[in-house]
Amino acid sequence: MLVALVAAICASLAFGAVEIPLSDVFGTFFGDSVPETSKQIIEVLRLPRTVEAIVVGAALGVAGACLQGALNNPLASPDVIGVTGGAGFGAMLIIILNPASVALLPISALAFGLIAAGMVFLIGFTGRGGGNITRVILAGIAIAALFSAATAGLMSAYPDRVPNAVFFLVGGLTSTGWENMETIWPYFAVGFVLAAFMIRPLDKLMLGDDVAASLGSRPRLIRLVAALAAAILASAAAAIAGLLAFLGLVIPHLVRLLGGTKSHVFVMPVSALAGAALLTAGDTLARTIAAPQELPVGPFLVLLGVPLFLWLLRKAV
Amino acid sequence: MAFGRNPAEFDPEAPLLDARDVRVEIAGEVILESASLTLERGELVAVVGPNGAGKSTFARAFCGLRRPEGGRVEWKGVPLASLRGRRLADVRAYVPQSAQVPNGVTVESAVRIGRSTHLKPLQGLTAADREVVAQSIARAKMEGFEDRDLSTLSGGEMQRVQIAIALAQGAPVLIADEPTAQLDLGATASISKMLRELVADGMGVVLIVHDLALAAAIADRVVVMSHGRTIATGTPEAVLTSQLISEVWDVEAELVQKEGRSALHVEWLERH
Repeated sequence: MLVALVAAICASLAFGAVEIPLSDVFGTFFGDSVPETSKQIIEVLRLPRTVEAIVVGAALGVAGACLQGALNNPLASPDVIGVTGGAGFGAMLIIILNPASVALLPISALAFGLIAAGMVFLIGFTGRGGGNITRVILAGIAIAALFSAATAGLMSAYPDRVPNAVFFLVGGLTSTGWENMETIWPYFAVGFVLAAFMIRPLDKLMLGDDVAASLGSRPRLIRLVAALAAAILASAAAAIAGLLAFLGLVIPHLVRLLGGTKSHVFVMPVSALAGAALLTAGDTLARTIAAPQELPVGPFLVLLGVPLFLWLLRKAV
Repeated sequence: MAFGRNPAEFDPEAPLLDARDVRVEIAGEVILESASLTLERGELVAVVGPNGAGKSTFARAFCGLRRPEGGRVEWKGVPLASLRGRRLADVRAYVPQSAQVPNGVTVESAVRIGRSTHLKPLQGLTAADREVVAQSIARAKMEGFEDRDLSTLSGGEMQRVQIAIALAQGAPVLIADEPTAQLDLGATASISKMLRELVADGMGVVLIVHDLALAAAIADRVVVMSHGRTIATGTPEAVLTSQLISEVWDVEAELVQKEGRSALHVEWLERH
């Protein structure tokens, strides 16, 4: 998986509307003499985009692994805690109602992703019987529906502005330099650190709530923190790359099917690597296949990922 | 949270477990009215009683899985309420009635999870931890099964893995809720023997069990529960009298023990 990631990173830096030889790519980093245009393209356009692909892919993989572990449900993805619906609404608010301040889009998507998740947690984790998995999932579906309806309402009120929104809704990366990452990176950092500390608790939870409790853990708290980590990571990912939640669902499954184990010590880090590799490779393909035209990476990844996923699914059962 | 406070020291002289007048309400309903139990080192105590008497609720309450509404529970002299996380895991291990069986997890990795309280976050198992994991698997008689997937195990094997997970925790007390309820005669006998070996090693074991003949054969003391109360405690011979069985279970029966064998002679149908 590490090899795949390194290959994807090299390809991502080398290929695009302009092809740059790998020797020049390495040259840029190690201070060798490289044509100035190539150096510019790599430093200003491709490196930020590649880093975004790595971080967003890893975040979605880890978010999916956290949620599927926390909710003990193979169908869990950032959709089920409302993040996707919330982030979509947050982005639409800016794109449709306030297109002049498009720089605020990532912030708004992040904020509404977290707000939606917060509402789900409030309903799902508090009061008597809080932390019940079914309640969390049902609350998530309801909140997601609420935000989707609001998004649909906005879109039908301003149909002429909808085309601008498509790129966000289908998910994709853009070559906009470091600006977005500079705002969003602390959220990724917090999400990844929380997720890392949940690896072992989620393994305990895998053996059942009673065993986890016997081991001195509080199952409700594990669920809440792991879901929180997933919400932060998925919201941050949506802020950068739009709605790519499908990755969050599929990557941990790919990793489990390929690795033959459910242990989070394996699934969590490998999901991060696999997510990063898949999104980096997918983004590279999406912007080279019809260059200089860029295809949105979201649908493209689904096209790539679904056959692979279905093939593994059949092979495993 | 015990942050910033000096946690109370365990008292090596105190009983392993001392639970008194434990009371539990669920949704305003009294499930457990007043239940008491003490456990010493090297002792196996069986908790018996009809369905719904509150045995499992009592065990979950004194293990800290569910906060009791009243009463007092002390583990080695330290109140349950002040025990959290690692310190609670260090003093008792709880084996649930029915196990969650994830596929894609081997016996060895499951038992390693049982050792995880001894590790710092993000830190791996040391050689000593691996040794404890191997010993736990051996004590639970699961050697040779290390690489088997949990989903391929029989009921008896799965129950032994659950006990191995609990042993890896390294606590001096094991609480097992009906470990033999679903098992055949041979598996029941082998689990019983294994529990007695743990007791011989100095552990304290609380066994929640339905089978009175089994309880009488393997327990040092028996605690009888009925309608949310512990109503009798003592040696099996002293407690499980025909009169008590008649009162609690409403069945005419006699416990017969002879040369290490035990049987419950039950009058299944009324004589005419």
